[in-house]
Amino acid sequence: MVTVALVREALAAVKDPEIPTCSITDLGIVHDVRVSAERIEIDLLSTFAGCPALDVIKRDVEQAARDLAPEVEVRFINAPPWTTDRLNDGAKDSLKAYGISPPLLQIGRAQSVTCPYCGSDQTVEESAFGPTPCRTVRYCNSCRNPFEGFKTKR
Amino acid sequence: MSDPRASLLFALADDELILGHRLSEWTGWVPYIEEDLALSSIAQDEIAHARMLLEILSVIDGRDPDALALGRAPGEYRNAILCEQPNTDFAFTLARHWLYDHADDVRLRALQESSFKELREAVAVMLLEERYHLEHADAWFHRLADGPVDARHRFGEALATTIGMAGALFEPLDDENELVDQRILPVSMEALADEWRARIGGMLDEVGFDQVLTAHAEATTGEMVPTSTGEIETTEGTELRAPSSGAGGRRGEHSEHFEPLWREMTALYRAHPGATW
Repeated sequence: MVTVALVREALAAVKDPEIPTCSITDLGIVHDVRVSAERIEIDLLSTFAGCPALDVIKRDVEQAARDLAPEVEVRFINAPPWTTDRLNDGAKDSLKAYGISPPLLQIGRAQSVTCPYCGSDQTVEESAFGPTPCRTVRYCNSCRNPFEGFKTKR
Repeated sequence: MSDPRASLLFALADDELILGHRLSEWTGWVPYIEEDLALSSIAQDEIAHARMLLEILSVIDGRDPDALALGRAPGEYRNAILCEQPNTDFAFTLARHWLYDHADDVRLRALQESSFKELREAVAVMLLEERYHLEHADAWFHRLADGPVDARHRFGEALATTIGMAGALFEPLDDENELVDQRILPVSMEALADEWRARIGGMLDEVGFDQVLTAHAEATTGEMVPTSTGEIETTEGTELRAPSSGAGGRRGEHSEHFEPLWREMTALYRAHPGATW
């Protein structure tokens, strides 16, 4: 018998294609899972509406769920809006492992962001817009490396 | 009779789609990489917001979102004429960006109270992303307004010549009375325009852009406005640029710049109907 817990466990293995260290469940994208005898329904939230990985994530989620039930429906919904508050501590670690600093608790520049490479807090935001909609570009004045920060959305 | 919600969704979605397309033309051409990323990311967001809105419209209209975005005839697009204007130069691009994003912020905030649930939910998502656009537009506004002289002059000129056209973002919609009565659009376009004018007027005044304020007043009411120097300027006797200069987009009437844009934007869709990628 398929259970919600079983589906969520399968979905924990699905990674964000643009942040391969990071599971979509850690990112808080999986909003709701409903199961019945034959059918699994999954509601996902998009991190940023313009994220080009959304179709890939949907396909990977469908594939993971199809191993558990013959009928699978996966859709993106707009409510509740996804915010970076939905990231769990696991996501923060896996972002850092990929060289991305986790989002801030509030939007604003007067906060220290730790460099994912050397741990210094002597970093500055170079650009609010980065290589993907969910990232910013930062620079570490201590180890002199550019790095990416997860964009705060809340 | 057509669903009044469609006229609101077409206006909102087409503004984002067409402006997004125009901004994407900057990709690879901006003088430095951070700004290239910024304009390209904003273009990506705007087109994504158009998609969200067209997905909602799709349920009402019956056509799929791609067909709505790319499969309509030019006269069926309802974007404001401002959005389709060529990028011209960086000063114009940033002037339009600032005028548009404040207008968009004013209307999206009003739509947070819409009785139309699906739209209200999409707006909540859009606002979380649009705040970065607004912050970007305001940063450039202050940077250019603070000089050097040439930058301030060119930005001021671009604002003065564009502000009238930007007012047409609030051109009345088809079925607007019904939209307001049903609180789908909780505030009339006219009232939203007033709110936008007050907001940008305050900011223009703060940086002493008197010539823009004068154009702003001419383009709106033709009434006397106090400027930052304390003088009262009147537009009496001068030729008024009516609020309707730049209007027509909400009725599907566009400038000569629309069709070339449409031809390029829809080229792939028209050559390969139903293509997916």
